[in-house]
Amino acid sequence: MIDPYYLQQLVIGLSLGMTYALMAIGFTLIFGVLNVVNFAHGEVYTIGAFASLVLITAVAPPFVAVVVFALAIGALAGFSLERIAFKPFRRFTDEASLKSRAMREATLLSSLAVSIIAREAIELLFGSQQQAVPFEYLINQPIHLGPVIIVTGDLIIFGISALMLIGLQFLLTRTHVGLSIRAVSNNPLGARYVGINVDRTIIMTFVIGGMMGAAAGILVGLYYGVIFPAMGFIPGVKAFVAMVMGGLSSIPGAVICAIILGLSESVAVTFISSGWADMVAYGFLIVTLIFFPQGLFGARRERV
Amino acid sequence: MTRLKTTALIGALAALVATGAHAQDPIKIGYQLPLTGDTAQYGQGFRNAAQMQLEKFNASGKIPVPVEIVYEDSRSDAKEGVTIARKFVDDPAIVAVLGDFTSTVSMAAAQVYRQAGMPQLSQTASHPDYTKISEYQFRNITTQDQEGPYNADWFTELGYKKVAVIAEQTDWGQSVVDGFSERFKEDGGEIVFSEFFNRGLKDFRSVITKIERAQPDAIYTGFFYEDGANFLRQARQLGVETPIFSTSAAYNPALIDLAGEAANGMKLTVTFLPTSDDPNVKAFVDEYTERYGEAPGQFPAQAYDAVGIMLDAVAKTYPDTTRETMRDALAETKDYPGVTGVTTFDENREPAKELAKAEVKDGEFVALP
Repeated sequence: MIDPYYLQQLVIGLSLGMTYALMAIGFTLIFGVLNVVNFAHGEVYTIGAFASLVLITAVAPPFVAVVVFALAIGALAGFSLERIAFKPFRRFTDEASLKSRAMREATLLSSLAVSIIAREAIELLFGSQQQAVPFEYLINQPIHLGPVIIVTGDLIIFGISALMLIGLQFLLTRTHVGLSIRAVSNNPLGARYVGINVDRTIIMTFVIGGMMGAAAGILVGLYYGVIFPAMGFIPGVKAFVAMVMGGLSSIPGAVICAIILGLSESVAVTFISSGWADMVAYGFLIVTLIFFPQGLFGARRERV
Repeated sequence: MTRLKTTALIGALAALVATGAHAQDPIKIGYQLPLTGDTAQYGQGFRNAAQMQLEKFNASGKIPVPVEIVYEDSRSDAKEGVTIARKFVDDPAIVAVLGDFTSTVSMAAAQVYRQAGMPQLSQTASHPDYTKISEYQFRNITTQDQEGPYNADWFTELGYKKVAVIAEQTDWGQSVVDGFSERFKEDGGEIVFSEFFNRGLKDFRSVITKIERAQPDAIYTGFFYEDGANFLRQARQLGVETPIFSTSAAYNPALIDLAGEAANGMKLTVTFLPTSDDPNVKAFVDEYTERYGEAPGQFPAQAYDAVGIMLDAVAKTYPDTTRETMRDALAETKDYPGVTGVTTFDENREPAKELAKAEVKDGEFVALP
C-alpha cells in the first residue's frame, strides 16, 4: 500500500498536469502543428478568462453557457490575432517570400507585440490585481476518494481535455480540413500549388486554437479562482515546454508531457523547496533539447 | 500620472505668475512606487492616499508655497528603482523621497540615496537591513524583527509547540521566517517545517500537503493578500484544520473578497483596522472610500501616514528646506498622530508602533483582546 501522502501528491500532480495540458493543446495546434511561431496564446487564454468573468458578473449564466461563451470569444480572439499579427506577413505570395524563414519567423515579434498590448490593455481596464470570482462558479468542491481529495474541477478539466484531444486528433487525421492544415504546415507553397486555400486554412486553425485557449483560460481560472492580467504567462511557458518535449507537432505527445510535467513538479515539492519546483520544467526543457532534439514523441522535422 | 503632474505643474505655475516671486517655487518630493506591472495595485493605493494627504496639506496653508509630489513608476523592479533614484538625486529641487514598495527595490535605491545624502522614507519596506543602510533611510512600518517575536510569544501563549513556517521567496519573506523562528525557538518551541514559495504561485496544494505531513500545531505564513487568498482556499479545499496565522502584510479587505469563507479563522497582527472607532481613522477611511470606491487596506494607510510625516518635516524646516534639514527633521519625528497609530522614530530611524491581534470572523477582520 502506498503512503496516502504520496498518493495525494500524485493526484495533485495529475490535476496540475491536466491544467497544463488544457493550455498545451491549443498552443501546440497553432505553434507546433501549423508550424507558425505564436507567442500570444497566453493572452487568448487571459482574454477568455476575463471575458467570461465579465459575463458571469453581469448575468450569472449557467456554467455550460460560460464555456460556450468562452469558446465564442476564443474564436473571435484567434481570428483577430491572425488578422493583426500574422496576415500582414503573407501579403507577398511570390516564391521567395513564401519560402523565406525570416518572413515566417517574424511573427515571433508581431505576436509578442500583440500579446504585450493585450496584457497592458487588460491591466488598464481591470487593474493588475487578482479579480474576485463569484464563489458559486468555482469548480473546486472537494470530493473524498478514500484517502485522497480531488475537486469537481479535476473531473471537468479531465473530461474537456479528453474531448478536445480526441476531437482534434479526429480533425487532423480524418477530415479534409485536417489534411489541409497538415499540408500547409508541411509546405505552404506546395499546398498553394495543389489548390488548398492557405489563408482559410490558417484562419481556421487560429479560430480552433483560440477557442481551446480561451476555454482553457476560464476553466483554469475557475478551477483556482485566480484571474489576473498576467495569468497567461506561466501556463504559456509550461505549455511551450510540454510542446517541445512532446516533439512540437504531436498533440498527444504534448498532453502526455504536460501531465509528466505536473506530476514531476508535485512530487519534486516533497524533496526540494517549492521555491525551486519551477526548475523542474526548465530542467526538462534543457534535457529534452540536449538529448532528444526531436522531442519524446516527435516525428523528424527541421525546426525553428 | 502625466495628468497629475501637469495639473500640479499648472498649479505651481499659476502661483508663480500670481506673485512673480522666485520664492514661490514648489517644494518637490519624489515618490517611487509601482504604478504598472504585477504589483501596480499597491502603488496605486499609495498614490491615492498620498494625493489625499497632499491636498489636505496644501489647502492648510501651513507654508506659503505649495508642495508637489513627483511620482515615478518602478514596476517593483530593482533596476528600475535605481534608475529612478538617480533621476531624483539629479533633480536639485527634490528634497526627499518616499518609497519604494518592496524591501528589495527600496534597498537597491537606498544605495543611491545613501551616496547622495537624500532622505528616503518607505511606507512599507520592512526588511530589517533597510534602515541599516545609512542614516538617510526611514520607514513607517513595523519590521519583522518586531512582528516576528510578537507573534512567536503569541503562539507560545496559545500553547503551540510545533509550528510550520512558510513565506514568499523575497528579502521580506526571509525576514518573516527569521524574525519568528528565532524567538519561537528561544521560547522552547520547535519549527517542524520551514520553506519559501515563489510569489504568484497558483497551486499551493503540494506544499500544503507537505506541511500537513509535518503535523504542526499551527502554521505561520508570510504572504500578501493574493497569495494568501489562494493558500487559504486550497488549504480549506484539502480539509486542513490546523490554525493559520499571518503577518500584518496579509491584512487587506481584498483577502476576504478573494478567499471568502476560507479566510475565516485566520489570525494575524495589525497596526491599522478600518473598523476602528478612532476619529482619525474614521475620517481617512470615509474619505478614501468615497473618493476611490473601495475601503483602504493597511498599505494605503501606511502611505497616508508616511506622506503626512514627510509633509510635517517640510513644514518644520521651511523656509530652510534642504535634503540635510529634511533628514534631521524626519529623525526628530515624535508622536505623529497617524491612522496607523502614533509614530515616533527611534535612534535607528525605526518607528515604534503598537501591534494588535485580529482574526477573520464571518468575513470580517475583528480585533482580538
